[in-house]
Amino acid sequence: MKVVVCTKQTPSTTAVFSVNDGTVSWEDPGGKPNIVNPWDEYAIEEAILLKENHGASDAIALTFGAPDATDALKTCLAMGCTEAVLVSDDSLTGSDEVGTARILAAALNKIGDVKIALFGKQAIEGDTGLTPVMTAQKLGWTPLTYVSAIKEISDDSITVERLLDDGKETVTAALPVVISVVKEINAPRYPSFMGIRKANRAKIPSWSAADLEIDGEVGAEASKTAWFDTSTIPVREGEVEIIDGDSVEEQAEALVEKLFEEKVI
Amino acid sequence: MSDVWVFVENSSGDIPAVALEASGAARGVADELDGSLVGIVFGEDVDDVAEKALEYGLDEVLGADDESLATFRVEAAGPLLAELAADREPAAIIIGGSTRGKDLAAWTAAQLGAGIVTDAIELEVDDETIVVTRPVYAGKLLAKAKVTDGIQIITLRSRAFPKAEAGDGDGDAEWVDAVKDEDEIPTKVSSFEGRGNEVSLTDASIIVSGGRGVGGPEGFTPVKDLADVLGGAMGASRAAVDAGWVPYEHQVGQTGKTVAPDLYIANGISGAIQHQAGMRSSKIIVAVNKDADAPIFKLAHYGIVGDLFKVLPALTAEFKDRLGK
Repeated sequence: MKVVVCTKQTPSTTAVFSVNDGTVSWEDPGGKPNIVNPWDEYAIEEAILLKENHGASDAIALTFGAPDATDALKTCLAMGCTEAVLVSDDSLTGSDEVGTARILAAALNKIGDVKIALFGKQAIEGDTGLTPVMTAQKLGWTPLTYVSAIKEISDDSITVERLLDDGKETVTAALPVVISVVKEINAPRYPSFMGIRKANRAKIPSWSAADLEIDGEVGAEASKTAWFDTSTIPVREGEVEIIDGDSVEEQAEALVEKLFEEKVI
Repeated sequence: MSDVWVFVENSSGDIPAVALEASGAARGVADELDGSLVGIVFGEDVDDVAEKALEYGLDEVLGADDESLATFRVEAAGPLLAELAADREPAAIIIGGSTRGKDLAAWTAAQLGAGIVTDAIELEVDDETIVVTRPVYAGKLLAKAKVTDGIQIITLRSRAFPKAEAGDGDGDAEWVDAVKDEDEIPTKVSSFEGRGNEVSLTDASIIVSGGRGVGGPEGFTPVKDLADVLGGAMGASRAAVDAGWVPYEHQVGQTGKTVAPDLYIANGISGAIQHQAGMRSSKIIVAVNKDADAPIFKLAHYGIVGDLFKVLPALTAEFKDRLGK
């Protein structure tokens, strides 16, 4: 049973953005502008745990992105993934959400014998959270989103707990499945020193569109969404009003009065 | 067709806020497109839900009432919505951005091969096309996006749109059959543990949050007390969640929930950029922190520099007094 974790390289969480003529760029005060999507760390950890504890033969990291997304894949290898695969091709750049799902589905089919594909619940730049369900739909697999615990796995089925807006749901599904995970599921490990050395030596295969048998249209031409007018969020005008007073009771009274005036109570 | 469909999520006969907000947003779009607003109601024994939906200003209801739809499962609801949409070709399908709504939108768009834009905070109609404004890069930037061809599927951010208001409903409901038999649906839900009356972060109009400055799990007691007296939800920063002081479901920020309450009270939270990403759209922000230089004061409208263990009980007492509790 192979387990694949689909991961994405994103701007770092501390990145500072600027927009010039509609082009978005970013810098990072810590000097590391791109990272593995933070939500994916939990999916990577879960893939490694499935190998360590549930007899998965492989924990393979898969990324669709620019050639430099191999950095994200190296982090996956350093954490303990057994293999990594990059899908990168100019003809695939600019795919919309459904196109991306078609590409990932084709790559998962090419890897073959995959029983569980893991995703983070969303990627921090788009925050759409669409890809897990879309990829499952394209594969004809069952999507299980917002998974906070894998309770049981047998040869042909899996039972998980899902964290929904209004509660926790326990659900059993037939394999293969696509799972998106939330932070409650585990505590991701740090890459080990040995892992980092191994990852730096690893040769990561890069698959082109021609390597994949993609079912349906992909790439910028086929995209059904258009983006425009990206802008930075206007800085809030005005300064904070610090509530002073002779006693904490006086401060509380003054603040509560302000909040009633603002009509937010 | 220029009809607009809106997904009327429901559970136990109730229509949650997220679906009322979607109905309110979709009403405006349908009026601009000069089309009917059609509520999509799936479930079991949902006659009453359809009635209620019509009272919230929907022109028609298109529903399916079937045992297989009793608990929302995307492998049952997704194919049904996609087949109905392929057959009837609405101009747009608008869905509230709940966990279930996002799953449904993703499945439907994938099955139809349709364009989708998520997390709308504003909608405008320009020449038959819906222009969506949405935050990107964790709320650090805003972008506009639209679907350029075919059915426009759009999901909404919670609390970005006013709820539809109840009135007289005189529209009709049309009922269709489910498209998947129970034995074709590969998932079985064995249990559901609801949150009860606890207010969820994304629905809350008031959130009181604690961060590293509360010092430990017991430090959340005054935070929770204030949240309770205000009928609000309790939030937390990543630092407090990672320290194990409160469960992850309370986390606000880039790797937690994105919230937009009317009032956000941040206690002992320094205001890291990742936390700001999750709460900066709040209408009024109050910061309580003993460090006058904490970045949260740059974002806050009101601040108290002081010890939260003294300030919070005083605020709770004052609110109790004013609210007659």
